[in-house]
This record gives sequence, C-alpha cells and structure tokens, in this order.
Amino acid sequence: MFARALATEFMKLRRSRVTWATLAGLSMGPLGLALFMWIIREPGRAAQLGLLGTKANLSGLEATWPAYASALTLLVGIGGMLLLSFIVAYIFGREYTEGTAKNLLALPVDRAWFVLAKLVVAASWWLVLVVAVIAESLVVGLALGLPGFSSGVATGLARNALLAAGISYLLVPMVAWITTAGRGYMPPLGFAIAMMALGNLFGKTGWAEWFPWSIVPLMIGAVGQPVTALPAGSYVVLAITFIVGVAATVLQLRYADNAQ
Amino acid sequence: MPDAADSTVIATRALTKRYRDVLAVDALQLDVRRGEIYGFLGRNGAGKTTTIRMLLGLIRPTSGEVSVLGRRIGPGETGVFGRVGFLVESASAYPNLTVRENLEIQQRLMGAPTSAVTGAIEQLRLSEYADRRAGRLSLGNKQRLSLARAILHSPDVLVLDEPANALDPAGIVEIRELLRSLADEHGVTVFMSSHILGEVTHLADRIGIIHEGRLLEELDRDELQAKAREFVEVRVSDPTRAEALLREAGFPHIERDPDSPGVLHVQDAADRTARIAAVLVGAGLELTALTATREDLETYFLRLTGGAS
Repeated sequence: MFARALATEFMKLRRSRVTWATLAGLSMGPLGLALFMWIIREPGRAAQLGLLGTKANLSGLEATWPAYASALTLLVGIGGMLLLSFIVAYIFGREYTEGTAKNLLALPVDRAWFVLAKLVVAASWWLVLVVAVIAESLVVGLALGLPGFSSGVATGLARNALLAAGISYLLVPMVAWITTAGRGYMPPLGFAIAMMALGNLFGKTGWAEWFPWSIVPLMIGAVGQPVTALPAGSYVVLAITFIVGVAATVLQLRYADNAQ
Repeated sequence: MPDAADSTVIATRALTKRYRDVLAVDALQLDVRRGEIYGFLGRNGAGKTTTIRMLLGLIRPTSGEVSVLGRRIGPGETGVFGRVGFLVESASAYPNLTVRENLEIQQRLMGAPTSAVTGAIEQLRLSEYADRRAGRLSLGNKQRLSLARAILHSPDVLVLDEPANALDPAGIVEIRELLRSLADEHGVTVFMSSHILGEVTHLADRIGIIHEGRLLEELDRDELQAKAREFVEVRVSDPTRAEALLREAGFPHIERDPDSPGVLHVQDAADRTARIAAVLVGAGLELTALTATREDLETYFLRLTGGAS
C-alpha cells in the first residue's frame, strides 16, 4: 500500500511549476553570491558598471573560496529551511487548496501511508535541490577563479550543506502537521517564519543546542561562530521533533474532522 | 448493526453530529438496501453533506454509528473503501494532471486494472478530453471526471453528493441512466444526495427527506406521488360566507390560500366541482374561478420542510 501511495505522490508532481520554481529560486543563491565575490575582487570595474561596490566591501567578506563556501552554507542552511518548509507546505497543502484532500481519506490505503509518502517525496525533492546547488556552487566558484580552492574546502562545503539540509528536513514534519491542521499554505508558512525567528532568538542564548530551530543556525555560524560538533542532546531533540511531527500529522488525519 | 449478510448496505444508528451550538445531524436512522438507489433529499444546509462525510469517515460522529457493507466506519477503517466509490460536495482533481493521469492515480490507489481508466473515460464520455489538464476542464466535465473517479474500480456502493451539479440537462439524463444501469444490471447500491426534488424522484427507488439534521420522512417513489394532495381552488366574492356554506354542504376540509387569503382550497373535492359551484351560486355568491388542482411534489417538499422562505 505504501508503494501505491508513493507512486501516486510522485505522479502528482508532473508538470508542476513549483518544482522548477524552487530549483530556480535556490540556484539563484550561488549566482548572487558569485556576483558579490566578483564585486569585492574587482571594485573598480563593479563601480564602473554601477554595481554596489561600496556595500560589498563594507560587508567584510573576502573574495576567497573559504569565505564563499562559508556563505553558501549559510545560504543553504537558512534559506533552505524556509524553502523546504515551503515545499512541504505545498505537497501537503495543495490537497486542501485543490480540493482533493477528501479524495485521499476514504480509500483502501491507510492515511499514514500518504503522510510518509509525501515526506519521502519532500526528501527526494530536497535532496535533488541541495545536490544541484552544491554542484552549481562548485562550478560557479571555479569559473570565478577564487583563490584558496582545495578538495578539503569543496568536501567541507558539500558536507556542511548536506548536514544543514538534513537537519532542516528533520524539522519539517511539524510544518506538515500545521498544514494539515490549518488546511492550506498560509498557516505553515507563518509557522516556519515564526520558528526561524525564535530559532535566531534562542540561538543567541545558552539554549541554542536545545531548541530545534536554533540548531541549524548554530551549526552553520548564523548566530555566532560555527559549531564543529553538535552535542548528542541536539540530535535527540531533532529526533523527537521529527517523530512528534510525523505522529501529529498522522493522528490529525486519522482522528480530526476533515471537513474541507 | 446489520451485517454484510443481510440486505442492508448502509446503516446509521442515532447518528449525530454537533458543531458547537449547531446540531448538523440529529439522531439519524437510515437503512439503505442492497441494489437500491436511495435519494437523500434536503434543502441547502439540511445536513446531507455532513451525513455523507460521516458515511465515508471524513468526519467523526458526535454520537451514534455508521456501517457500510457491514463494517463500522471509524478511525483507521480502510478495508471497506475498496468497494466504495464516492463524490463529496464539489468536483475536484489535480489541475496540473490530465483527465487520464487523474484517473490513473485513482486506479493505482484502488488496485484496479489499468483498463479501468479507459473504461471510466468512455462511460463518462470524456474521451475527447482524456489528455486535457483537469485545470482546463469546464465545470461540467470536471464533474464527469469526479464521477469517473467514483465508478472506476467498479464499486459495490456509490455515495454521491449532488451528482448532477454543474451538468447540463442532457448530462443529467445521461448520469441518471448510468446510475440506473449500475443499480439494475450490476446491483450497485447508490446513495445520492440532492436538493433538487425532480432529480431524486426521477431516479430514486426510495427517498429520505432530511431537514435541520433530522430525517422527516422516508418513503418510496409511489408513496411520494401519493402524498401530493388534490384540492379545488375557489375564488369567490365573500370567502368567509362561502367557507361556511361549503362546510354545511359536506366539505369539511377547507383552507385559506396562504398567499392570498381570499382564495379557498377545498380538499379532497376534485371530483365534486359541480356541487361546489351549485352551492355557491345557489347562495347568490359571485364565483370568479373554480379550478381542480393537484399539489406538485415541489410544493409538498416545501410544505414538509417549512416553506420557501
């Protein structure tokens, strides 16, 4: 039954513009960052072209591979958390906005399989996006000829980006739950933005390791110096957040009224 | 609760749904028999869709029970739904997918053979639109797609909420014939809701009338026809005196027309119009109209459910 649900969930993405829009959105990140690097490296030419040379210099960034890799990790970590929430809100929320949720609930397939199938689709979609953006970042960085490239820098970029992406993924079943409870796109997006703001707030306190939405910012250095190794407690918090999110979504669909 | 061995396919027992202060469905008792078309008739907001949602397990009753094909519907029930086709409220489909792709999703989820997709497309006359995205269909064709989805896996039970919605008159007749043939030739039990009396009386074997969440009456088609009352409409110069004269002459059941109090309705007198005329004219009253009238079913329905307001 899970295989049937999974196959149909992938079918639903056919001709979906949202998949391409998310790829286009995330792929703009490395290009924008590369432009920033180029402005820092060549402020004279950038000024001639009317680009923001002064501001770029003021940011304190250097046009080097380590700085580029670090900024990219921030971009995938923070921007990705929001984008992934959007993807999950779309996958679950479209059933309500397109009026098809009711069609999923009186079938010989357990409702829990739909939740898991949708989360697998989100994971696959997210993995493709992150791998594509890492590959794009490497190609763009090399084409820009930034100094300081080494296989270690490239591996570190890929590892940190994938780790941040993976941790972000553990948070999204909560977004799925808010989507099914709120029956649409707006509640989960509001929830995701609020949690990110709280994550930033907690990140600046001593509780950063224990608040799920602070862990990615903590790890990638968005709220201080990047943390090289997270405490085991953070992984426990993330695992609990994931399990609670999945269980809440399944219970919501099984026991709550689904009056669309 | 009835089991699958007897003829009851859908049963509700004291089925009740309350939303805070609103009692949407009130102690509903229904028994829908195998192979019959049951018309669930009620005005907008009467509780039809809420009942259908409870039959399909989309919402949970506040109290009472629902069973379909002998299985009690509750959280986690899935087995019975392989034998049930349904359409709830408005037609819906994935707009980015074609008609065929939308039906392929249903075919996979139901475990039906792949040929069922083409079969359903042909039965609902959607061949011309099979490769058109659902988002570009007219409302009528979207309704056909939803009906195709409901019948695709050859269900034993069809639960249809306002199946004629958005269909043109020819489409309504076509769907009526399709449902009739599914019931007569394949023994499919059809539970269909409607707020349109004519649609139900044309098709249903049995009719349940729901109003403000309560089942007011349950009757078969012939009984419904018999419920329509006959009366003689009398327009006369002095209705008060005319009423007294007619009562004396052996016409005890007289009502004033609610819309025009000067007009009398003499019940059960359609075959005695000459006698009415003789009584009134003989008393010197000016008789301006005398018409034998049969109350139509629409009027009966409105009278039962509290008028047209």
